Amino acid sequence: MNRIALVLLLCACLLAPGIGSANPNGVGAGEFDAQCGGACHGDADMNRSSSAIITLTSPDTIYEGLLTSITVQIESVETTQSGILGVFLLSSLSGSQDTPADVGWDIVSNSEGNAFNYLETIVPSGTSTVEVTWTLKAPEVGEYTLYGAVHHGTVDGNDAPFYGASITPLSVTVLEVPEDLPRLSDSFDPPIQRDIGETTSIEVSTEFVTSMSIEWRTNSGEITSLNATKGEGNSWSFELPTSILPNMIEWRAILSGEGPEQTTPWFQLRSDEPSWEVDNTLVYMQSFAMLFALMAGFMALQKTLSVPIDKKDHSELMIPHGGEY
Amino acid sequence: MVSSNTFHVVSTELTVGAFAMAGLFFLLAGLASRNILGLQSKITVIDTVAHATLFFGLIAMPFAIFSGIQSGPQGDINHPLLVNKMLLSTASLGLAIGVLASRHSIGERIWQQTYTRDLQAVGGMAASGLILLTASIGGTFSRGESLLDIFHLPYEIVPLMPLWMSCTVLVLAIANLRTALQKV
Repeated sequence: MNRIALVLLLCACLLAPGIGSANPNGVGAGEFDAQCGGACHGDADMNRSSSAIITLTSPDTIYEGLLTSITVQIESVETTQSGILGVFLLSSLSGSQDTPADVGWDIVSNSEGNAFNYLETIVPSGTSTVEVTWTLKAPEVGEYTLYGAVHHGTVDGNDAPFYGASITPLSVTVLEVPEDLPRLSDSFDPPIQRDIGETTSIEVSTEFVTSMSIEWRTNSGEITSLNATKGEGNSWSFELPTSILPNMIEWRAILSGEGPEQTTPWFQLRSDEPSWEVDNTLVYMQSFAMLFALMAGFMALQKTLSVPIDKKDHSELMIPHGGEY
Repeated sequence: MVSSNTFHVVSTELTVGAFAMAGLFFLLAGLASRNILGLQSKITVIDTVAHATLFFGLIAMPFAIFSGIQSGPQGDINHPLLVNKMLLSTASLGLAIGVLASRHSIGERIWQQTYTRDLQAVGGMAASGLILLTASIGGTFSRGESLLDIFHLPYEIVPLMPLWMSCTVLVLAIANLRTALQKV
């Protein structure tokens, strides 16, 4: 009887993972190879083909070491009830060592405000086309290919995971930088996050730039222009408006100089609640205190409650009342 | 070179697996010590498995803690969930060491005495429970969900003591530890 109950219990445990969906809330943004956004999505046998149509676009010219943007457009989007859609930017579809970083690209930011090749975006209900953008620093001179890929669930939430990739890759030619091209310097790393209520002053280092103007926009799409102020050497600075709510602002620089005028890609700057901070010394001290308190407390309690061997019942050895044994 | 994130996953799975098994066997040991379900004849085996798996989990746990700190967003503890993970895992570590040390010093008699057998079983299960709670917080932090979400536990609340109080507790604990060891 006990064996039957045990077998039934084990069967129930084995069947339990089949109930429900894998990672219905996504796996979070990260640096992932193709199909690796969630463990079970890596098994091609478990995937179904997504009906999404994925296309990639890039600027006409991309220069070595300079920032550029790659846009992935997804049409015929289908997602779960929560609307979550996972999007990859990849250098191949091999499933291993196929992130853009593996061939020399350096992701600076993406339209979700982080710097990974995999992002998760929420698709509003009724939306059939989604665009996501990555800002990258171009690799060495040469020919490169980039792919876009998606994975998602379905509205009923209990079907197989769906995976789809761009049918034709985006072919990119990275050119050598012309000598006098107005550009941002290689060392410039645009900020991607700021706190709400914080005044944002950005200092940009440039090369071959004689004047710089800035354009910024929010979700509404309306573009506002402002002039950057020249600082010491080749640095320029400007201020973006303070954010009062968590949101995303995008900005780009229009660079003029002796060479042809250049416009940088849109840089995303996400504003969040101020990050939570704690004094790590307090945490470590309390951890040590709890470790020793529980260890010592438990040992002392067990010692106190334990009856020593020499106090065991040895009544046959005791001298009875009256003195005679 | 294995990244701290990957190493954390490996060491965490070892720790949680070992502690989950230990928790189950501490429950069985508690039942066996009271001769429930006719398990008393197997008390030696159950006792060995419970303490051996707990010991194995104990070895893996420091690796999980340190790799966890390294794999944090800025290689630091800067989130309420991470602080609670740290506090719970070290509490479990202390309790598990106490359980193993008590078993070592008292011996198999620990399962024959009324209070010690219950306390040993509860201590072992509590250490396992704390680790499972820690793992649940880890799931909430990395994936936004975990199995224990049904209980709506207040993961975001950090019960942090002032430094002087932590130091006092630490001094008292070390004094208490000295006393506990002197009785052996």
